[in-house]
Amino acid sequence: MRLVRAELERLGSRRFVQLMLVLLVLAFGVTAATTLASSHRPSAAEVQNARAEAARQIRALEQEYDRCVAARQGRVTPDEFGMDQYPTSCADLDPGRIERLPVTTDYLSGVFVFANEAKGLLYFLIAFLVLFGFLVGASYIGADLNSGGVVNLLLWRPRRLTVLAAKLGTLLGAVLVVSVAASLLYLGAFWLIAQVAGLPGTLDGDFWQALAALHARGLVLVGLAAALGFALATLGRHTAAALGTVAAYAVVWELGARLVMEIVGVRRVDQWMLSSHIGAWLTGRIELWDPALCDANGCRGMYVLTSGSALLVLGGLTGALCLAAFATFRRRDLI
Amino acid sequence: MSPVIEISGLRKAFRSLRQGRRVAVDGFDMRVEAGQVHGFLGPNGSGKTTTLRALLGLVRADAGEMTVLGARAPAELPRVAGRVGAIVESPQFFGNFTGYRTLRLLALAGGVPTDRVDRALELVGLRDRGDERVRGYSLGMRQRLAVASALLKDPELLILDEPANGLDPAGIREMRDLTRSLAETGVTVLVSSHILAEIQLICDHVTIISAGRRVAAGRVDDVLAGFDRHEFRVRVAEPERAAELLRAAGLPVGAYPDHLVVGGSGDPELIARTLGEQGLWVHELTPLRPDLESVFLELTGGPAHPAVPRQVDDAQAGDRVIELEATGAEDSGRVDA
Repeated sequence: MRLVRAELERLGSRRFVQLMLVLLVLAFGVTAATTLASSHRPSAAEVQNARAEAARQIRALEQEYDRCVAARQGRVTPDEFGMDQYPTSCADLDPGRIERLPVTTDYLSGVFVFANEAKGLLYFLIAFLVLFGFLVGASYIGADLNSGGVVNLLLWRPRRLTVLAAKLGTLLGAVLVVSVAASLLYLGAFWLIAQVAGLPGTLDGDFWQALAALHARGLVLVGLAAALGFALATLGRHTAAALGTVAAYAVVWELGARLVMEIVGVRRVDQWMLSSHIGAWLTGRIELWDPALCDANGCRGMYVLTSGSALLVLGGLTGALCLAAFATFRRRDLI
Repeated sequence: MSPVIEISGLRKAFRSLRQGRRVAVDGFDMRVEAGQVHGFLGPNGSGKTTTLRALLGLVRADAGEMTVLGARAPAELPRVAGRVGAIVESPQFFGNFTGYRTLRLLALAGGVPTDRVDRALELVGLRDRGDERVRGYSLGMRQRLAVASALLKDPELLILDEPANGLDPAGIREMRDLTRSLAETGVTVLVSSHILAEIQLICDHVTIISAGRRVAAGRVDDVLAGFDRHEFRVRVAEPERAAELLRAAGLPVGAYPDHLVVGGSGDPELIARTLGEQGLWVHELTPLRPDLESVFLELTGGPAHPAVPRQVDDAQAGDRVIELEATGAEDSGRVDA
């Protein structure tokens, strides 16, 4: 416990960590300030007009569905409504089945609506925190290995695995606490902006549940990023090793290998890319399209990556790298 | 009494793709008894730091047995780590931290009361600079901070690798005084250095390593005595005639521009009488005692040629091995040459 306390203090005292926190606050500040400046509380007339517009759009959708059904049933002449302009099944146009109907807040210009924007804001926050976690994780151990700080520590606590585990545990704990605190402050600030200079929108149970699920998945991703940065820097003995590995992966695999695989006709190329799994994990599932899956009989060429398989890939990779880092560090000559 | 440090048959080789396999330490032995101030000498690249790192569990030995305070190293080091203060080869610290914070974090991690930090800073002369960032410290101040970190534990055994690195003459003297005062309190000190005069001044025992092997070990006086040729520097008015007379008396004489070096007798009276009886009065008659530098250079190879700087791997270990082992309360000199 003393070791964790010392590591926590060491982590908090790092200039780089402090810089990243300042950048986080700055990013929050700029986003919040611009949102506040560009939003206003709508007048009754604006709300009235928006409500009317939303109703009009819903009616238009219903009419379109009715036309489709009528065309399919042959109740209208083909020259009146072209059959080929409707999908095979009118169910796709059924207003009762589409994911989201137009609502009043969709038609309020210059008004920040929390319910509409929260998800996007959270994605931005998660992206920043993933970067934060990776960089802090890599620099925390990388700088320590490079500067001899680990050697100093091992002279006091000559248990390599305990020391490394304490560092990783402290890192993950600290990053997650910062992430939770930042998320609450961030979303809280925008909720407040919506209250005073915009509209909260429809904040029902489903909304909060979806937001909480996204937040939880984001936190897992932040933790994985921190552990990945830590493991790569431990293996490479330097912060730059982690950064270089990620840059090399992006260029060599995500761009180069993707291109080569597409040329040689590898199927489902996207499922070999970590970026696809990150997307699948964050959104719950992603549908990907690959024309190579279709044969002469034709098909939609779609395949799905689920959050479960994505977690398996991302967690497995990070876990394997962490294990390799611990195994290497246990036997490494510290010179 | 069991030794504080015992190393036997230590072997370590480093492998790299570019340089292949390089043997750093090869069958090295060392024994440090409680209460000693033990000097660990060797040329650059001779294996001193590798030995200390292996002893402290920082590098893995390929073979050999090591114990520290009775605990097998590295497996049982955690048991005794709190009693061993160590610095290894100019340790680095985070430049952004103050000296005080650096020590405080180490104390916290090691379970040492943090109120010892002030005392440790005081001991190494950094009391007034403890609140400054390490980035602003000179090399000597960083070295002092490293020593302070080793002292924080109030150790029974202090291992100092090149503690005088970067220190100015006043700093070296302070470090010497500090080492002495620690030794007086019963702390066993193992200090590696290439500043031979410093080792001779503060150490009572010494181990000399060359090319990864021990080439001498024992009490400093005994090691030096092993190299005493019983020679005297003689200054007289007529050196050429004096040389002839001494040679005639059966003494080997070396002639130098302003003095003679007379060996063989170990008897200053014989020299004075031989010359005096012929009316040559001796101006100076000084016994030439070997110092650690001359012993060190002789054991580790010395400069290969006056015009050719000696290379790191030039030292020829095993050419001559001096072992002066302690047996019982008194050290009895045993020379295996």
